[in-house]
Amino acid sequence: MRARIILTLKQHRFETVAVTIVCVGLTLAALIEAYRLNSLNVPLSCLQTYQFGYADPSQGPISAAQAHCNELAKSFFDTKSSLDMSLVQLLLLFAPLLTGIVVGAPLVAREIEQGTAPLSWALSGSRRRWLLGKVLAGVVLLAPLMLAVGLAANVLEGALSPGLNPYASFSNYLGRGVIDVFWALAAFAGTFALGTLLGRTMPAVVVALVVCFFVRAAWDSGMSHFVLRSFAVEQVQQDQQNQQGGYVVYGPGGPAYADMNLYYKTFIDGKEVTDAQRNDWYAQNMVCTPIPTPSDSTSPAEAGSPGASNSPGASSSPGAPATPGYPTTVGNGGIACQGPTVDPSHFPQQIPYVIPGSWYWQIVGLESGILLLGSLFCGAIAFVWVDRRRPY
Amino acid sequence: MATDAGALVARATGVALQAHGLSKRFGKKTALDAIDLTVPAGSVTALVGPNGAGKTTLIRICMAFERPNGGRVEVDGVDPWKHRSEALRGVGYVPQTPAVYRGLDVDDHLAMARSLHSGFDAEYARKRLNQLGIPLDQRADTLSGGQAAQLGLAIALGTRAKVLLLDEPLANLDPLARREFIQVLIDAIRSDGSTVLLSSHIVTDVEEACDRLVILGAGKVLLDCPLEEARQAHKLTDSKSPPPGGIAVGSFAGKGLTRLTLWRVPADAGEGAAAATEPASLEEVVLGYLAAGRGTTGLQLN
Repeated sequence: MRARIILTLKQHRFETVAVTIVCVGLTLAALIEAYRLNSLNVPLSCLQTYQFGYADPSQGPISAAQAHCNELAKSFFDTKSSLDMSLVQLLLLFAPLLTGIVVGAPLVAREIEQGTAPLSWALSGSRRRWLLGKVLAGVVLLAPLMLAVGLAANVLEGALSPGLNPYASFSNYLGRGVIDVFWALAAFAGTFALGTLLGRTMPAVVVALVVCFFVRAAWDSGMSHFVLRSFAVEQVQQDQQNQQGGYVVYGPGGPAYADMNLYYKTFIDGKEVTDAQRNDWYAQNMVCTPIPTPSDSTSPAEAGSPGASNSPGASSSPGAPATPGYPTTVGNGGIACQGPTVDPSHFPQQIPYVIPGSWYWQIVGLESGILLLGSLFCGAIAFVWVDRRRPY
Repeated sequence: MATDAGALVARATGVALQAHGLSKRFGKKTALDAIDLTVPAGSVTALVGPNGAGKTTLIRICMAFERPNGGRVEVDGVDPWKHRSEALRGVGYVPQTPAVYRGLDVDDHLAMARSLHSGFDAEYARKRLNQLGIPLDQRADTLSGGQAAQLGLAIALGTRAKVLLLDEPLANLDPLARREFIQVLIDAIRSDGSTVLLSSHIVTDVEEACDRLVILGAGKVLLDCPLEEARQAHKLTDSKSPPPGGIAVGSFAGKGLTRLTLWRVPADAGEGAAAATEPASLEEVVLGYLAAGRGTTGLQLN
């Protein structure tokens, strides 16, 4: 198998060399950018004061030390927002997907395009064993390179946010660290599966680019909504430490940096409810009446009867007094809603939940596992299809 | 276990490749129409027919590249579609177009074959390539068409397979390269005793190497017999009067647009037959059958 891996890399020499150059170059670029920021040696306090405008000369005369501090902070933020820094960050974000696609697309598709698949398949007998050798070559190439890129991105993240532990923060966590390896493997698996299905390299690249773009764009919100939400813990106390340090959350596990995402959960009488249930609750507990017109002699109390509401599923509470001080809202069709009419202590309560930064490895492990499962699924499709398809 | 038993039966019966009612359709087009074919072990069979006759399809089915729509095929007693690994272990294959990995040199191809086929004899293949003066360190994409074909043949021979399936390997070669390819093949067959199925639409190229002839036309087997029998049992006339005992096969336009008719003449037809007719060359035998298969007489002899 070792010979197969080496020969596969040699066979795909262009992709191997290109991906290696890009990854090594990007790793070095990230480390150099991190070094540039770290070498400024800007004290955290300078960044805090500069950031929040306390060192603004308009607020009065500043000391020489404060002026120096200002200079350092300014150079830090200038470097941070420079074009080359932005470019490196952008490449770090997309490198896992692009390298995965570049390595994965020609793996099977080019053999079919160039007519070499019949030669290999006739020799091998087992096409799955043949494909396994090629897949292992891709993994052997991508995994160490992307790990290097991911670790360099972590170093850069630490330099971009002094005082922040990159391994205990969710700032940009999907574009750095170990998860980079799994992004690359997922893109690789998806693309070589497409190449196996389509038998053509360029169409596989194009489809993979589109699919990867949508998956990456939807990943954040999808994971937050369907997966991470259930792992969040109640935010007991939030302290906005500073922009560099992120949020400190005092959860059950003690103080920890938190994910910037807040997961709002709604409770009614201590029981968690869905958004739909919360809306139903409001609909049922609002008093809605038609707005009287000058010619209308019907009193609001008389109008508050069942059927007066135009909200789906809504009903009124006839005769129930409106909550004092609760604002009256005007609904569609000349309906005024007021309420709720119950004791405020029974109102739905929205409580912010967060994922503490101390759960970094668990969350990264979880998301990496999901990406790995996706990779295995795509790989399984390729392994099934390669056994059935024609070699031309 | 079943495949081993099949192989044992095949060896005992002396059959290397057998097709029963084998059919293959591509949409509405029938590539193979319920053909029956037996290739004896140790024979070198020429599979001859025009383009689209079904030669490549037959070989691809034997290689499990295509699934038949009907019937079955056994290579060394094993159904390649059901037991691909077992079947292909004993088969060497040379595709129609010499396929080489552009980024790899010649020796890398042998190393790859070794990594894919446990029984691949890289030294044997190297020796054959050295005899032809093909440098092992030359990039495969810089090889000439003839050299690439020789590399493909060396890889197929290196598997030391009992059955060699060669799918029109001569089609894209110049006359010199064709001659060299055939010589290497003959040499290898003599030393290894392999069974060979060599498809081609150029009869004269395979005449020297083969001892059996199968003519395919429009997806049917038109003739299947030893090469010598094909030569001796067919006569040619330039008229419609049959030789004694002769059965008309087909007629086609010869040189100078002379109408030639191919006759199948039984061995016991008597002296008169030979006197009234010309002996048919192998190419004329093939032309006669192909004309019969097409129902036309439009084939022109070179």
